[in-house]
Amino acid sequence: MVCTPLIQLREEQVGYGPDPVLRDLDLSIAAGEKVALIGESGVGKTTLLKRLYSLVCEHAALCPQQLGLVPELSVYHNIFMGRLDQHGFWYNLLNLVRPRRRDREAIFNLAAELGLEPQLDSSVDQLSGGQRQRVALGRALYRASPIFIGDEPVSAVDEFQAERLLALINRRHETVVVALHDQAAALQHFDRLIGLRDGKIVLDAPSAELSLADLARVYEQ
Amino acid sequence: MFFRRFLPLLLCLSLNGHAATFTFTAIPDQDETLLRTRFGQVADYLSQRLGTDVAYVPVKSYAAAVGAFRNNQVQLAWFGGLSGVRARQLVPASEAIAQGEEDRSFQTYFIANTRTGLEPTEDLSTLSGDLSFAFGSKGSTSGRLMPEFHLRQQLSKAPQDWFHRVGFSGDHSRTIALVQSGAYDLGAVNFKVWERELKEGRIDTDKVKVIWKTPPYPDYQWTIRGDVDATWGEGFKAKVTRALLEMDDPALLAAFPRSGFIPARNADYQPIEAVARELGLVD
Amino acid sequence: MSGASNNTGRRLKRLSFGFVLLACLGLLFTDIEVVTSEPWGELARIGIGLLTPDFLATEELGKALLNTLAFALVGVVIGNGAGFLLALVFHWPGVRQTCAFVRAIHEIFWALLFLQVFGLSTLTGVLAIALPYTGIFAKVYAEILEESDQRPWRCLPPATGWLSGFVYARLPRAFQNLKHYSLYRLECAIRSSAVLGFIGLPTLGFHLETAFNQGLYSQAAALLYLFFLMVASIRLWMRLPLLPVYLLAAIGWLPWSLHFSSELWVHFVTWDLVPAPLRGEWGSQTLSSLGRWLTPLGEHALLGAANTLILSLVALVGSGLLALGLFPLVSRLFFRLPGRSLGNALLIVLRTIPELILAFVFLLVLGPSMLPAILALALHNGAIIAHLIGRQSDSLKPLLPGPGSGRYFYEVLPRIYRPFLAFLFYRWEVIMRETAILGILGVYTLGFYIDSAFEALRFDQAFLLILMTALLNLCIDALSRALRRRLRLADTPQQVNP
Repeated sequence: MVCTPLIQLREEQVGYGPDPVLRDLDLSIAAGEKVALIGESGVGKTTLLKRLYSLVCEHAALCPQQLGLVPELSVYHNIFMGRLDQHGFWYNLLNLVRPRRRDREAIFNLAAELGLEPQLDSSVDQLSGGQRQRVALGRALYRASPIFIGDEPVSAVDEFQAERLLALINRRHETVVVALHDQAAALQHFDRLIGLRDGKIVLDAPSAELSLADLARVYEQ
Repeated sequence: MFFRRFLPLLLCLSLNGHAATFTFTAIPDQDETLLRTRFGQVADYLSQRLGTDVAYVPVKSYAAAVGAFRNNQVQLAWFGGLSGVRARQLVPASEAIAQGEEDRSFQTYFIANTRTGLEPTEDLSTLSGDLSFAFGSKGSTSGRLMPEFHLRQQLSKAPQDWFHRVGFSGDHSRTIALVQSGAYDLGAVNFKVWERELKEGRIDTDKVKVIWKTPPYPDYQWTIRGDVDATWGEGFKAKVTRALLEMDDPALLAAFPRSGFIPARNADYQPIEAVARELGLVD
Repeated sequence: MSGASNNTGRRLKRLSFGFVLLACLGLLFTDIEVVTSEPWGELARIGIGLLTPDFLATEELGKALLNTLAFALVGVVIGNGAGFLLALVFHWPGVRQTCAFVRAIHEIFWALLFLQVFGLSTLTGVLAIALPYTGIFAKVYAEILEESDQRPWRCLPPATGWLSGFVYARLPRAFQNLKHYSLYRLECAIRSSAVLGFIGLPTLGFHLETAFNQGLYSQAAALLYLFFLMVASIRLWMRLPLLPVYLLAAIGWLPWSLHFSSELWVHFVTWDLVPAPLRGEWGSQTLSSLGRWLTPLGEHALLGAANTLILSLVALVGSGLLALGLFPLVSRLFFRLPGRSLGNALLIVLRTIPELILAFVFLLVLGPSMLPAILALALHNGAIIAHLIGRQSDSLKPLLPGPGSGRYFYEVLPRIYRPFLAFLFYRWEVIMRETAILGILGVYTLGFYIDSAFEALRFDQAFLLILMTALLNLCIDALSRALRRRLRLADTPQQVNP
């Protein structure tokens, strides 16, 4: 399969200040790939995801670890924000006061898939951690973009739900890049795994060729 | 931009709201309480004598009083010596028409806290430079202008350069309270305020006493705008003057408080103007 | 990678200790001599007055109360609206500077300027509040928006329109703080409105100043109590849906007749505000007389600026320390309701008493120097900041069991510290402005000289000194912005060029 890569990093140094967090990064991701990032916490997964998102943000939905929800607004409005760019200001303003039926229905259906329909009109500050994470996920899904970039998008829900949601993410997006701490889920749902350690990529292989033991080496001291 | 938006609105207002009411203001040199009640009676008196509506506008600062006089919000004002000079400079053709009987020879007392051990003196240059000195309000003739003038004369220096510290209490009663408590060593007070507070028993003569008195100088006066005749008819200014000079009801005079009013001219305030010019307080 | 540059807490700590150190240094150069005096007679009179308030001594008291509220309400609504709009474009060139300029000028000075043109009218009072408040609202709103949670904003689809993004992702996050701040500003406006009475507008301060100056402490106490009551009750009667009703009532209540002459206005701008030697024809003498005009003024400006800076810095650090000590008294996280009410009452008293009165009492006890000024300003402003951060801490959800020092130092302090610094830096400007009223202490600040120039009706000099103050204000504003920027760690990763 030969195609131009969707995202390409070449010997890149990425960081926030003068000192890079990630060094000599060589990475390309093609359209259609489902990629999971693994590695110890603090190794730079979030940094890498933010960098990737900044390269493709026009076509990507982001589901960050810190969620970035607006707690004062309802679940409905938070999910609606995934498509805030599709309407003009007055439309959006009116939606704050009185949503259109069409939007309402679309978001209701999405919320139902996420198990959030009873909370649709609750403000986000009333929700549990797991519910909030699903709202953030809903916002990203509602965006309906070809690329999904998620930072531990299912870390706060139970295992069973996580499986279902990861499947949903993969089904709704052509290309997926997520950071996951659940190694088994990473192996099961993604076709390419990238392991980070000491600011470098130490593992990059199709998941079909990998076992849990291979993954464990990424975490070893 | 702000003004551009508001200006047309304001111009409309000013066209409709032309002042047909003769308005005056007064800042008495002592007791500023119940201004409306006290000067309301004066307004009634003037209204009756002049045969036109007269209103009183209470103002507190000298600067505000002169401002109101200048933009014709008030046409007649009871000014102190210095504020009157300033007002007449700003409003050409305005005139001093009457002064209080006491205002021909007004005085300022220098008072000292007894802890300083100061005795009444003739020579202000014997005052130590380690002392602190409190004036009254910055724009007051008796609380600032005349005392500063005499200090400069006798010390050949600005008070700020002679004394350890110079402050402005803002009010004659405050000056007395501050010197009496010892917060300031010396102070300059309007003699009428001093005498009134002495009579009311608010001064502890063991703590504070008079050490020097200024030579007399002219102070408060009624000043009227030059254009009142144009608005209220020929001879209006003379009518106002007469009404003021003939005010003899003690209840009305108590508002100022003066025992009566006598004629005054701009020239009477020449000494004040000269002093103010010397101190650089007017141009 | 050095630890210090990457630790927000440590940066904040370093900055704070730096300021405390500077203030201590400032204290060395400040004149804080204490004159032992016998203040007890006067203090006893004040005490008796406080115990025997006389509510009947003031004429037209009800009118003064309503006027105070009406001026404040109209002024603050105009300032709020204009300030909010300006806050949205605060990054435009010139906006920040213009705002710094209009708020560098004390309400009393604005009123004295407008008085020359509009006379002693409602418009003068309303503008004197609305104009500086616009500058204040613009700055503080801009900072609240900047300090509020930016994460939702960053999660928006990149093509989202600015306004849409603003009303969804930023406004809701900042709304509570904006609302609290506006409410607090209303309180400030009531204070400003009262203080405008000092120059003759028919508000509470008109009578309060007279009573206080003449030593009529029973009357002054009654007025002060009413003033406290008015400020303390704001939260009871001020409801957002009722605002239009109040506003209309206020506009209806105030007399809007006006004496205005366009001639005078033109004369004021083209003559009074122009430096005296430059008025009229210019001749060969113009330059030398301009020099003579500028020399004493320059001395005043420099001396005043130095005094203002030192005094305001020391008072600022004092306010900050006081605020950090006092805010738990009004925070839900530390005290239950009855205790908190006491704390609230204390803060209301401290922040509502006009500084002039506080300064006078300290002056009686300590004698004239910068010390009474520092104490009065620190108490007043410390109480204000304590109130503001106390309110803000209410919205935190603590995890540590409290109340205790653990909660204070580990949870609350770190989370309120940035807004605390923002308020504190803003207060720096206010303190500079407030030094204007301290002529009674014989402390010659910039404000003292401006006040003197106004009193002498020398608007050209006042104007130049005001420009000087505005310049100082701009410097402080720029400094606070630079500090705030340094304190914020970058959040978007960038490609690093090694």
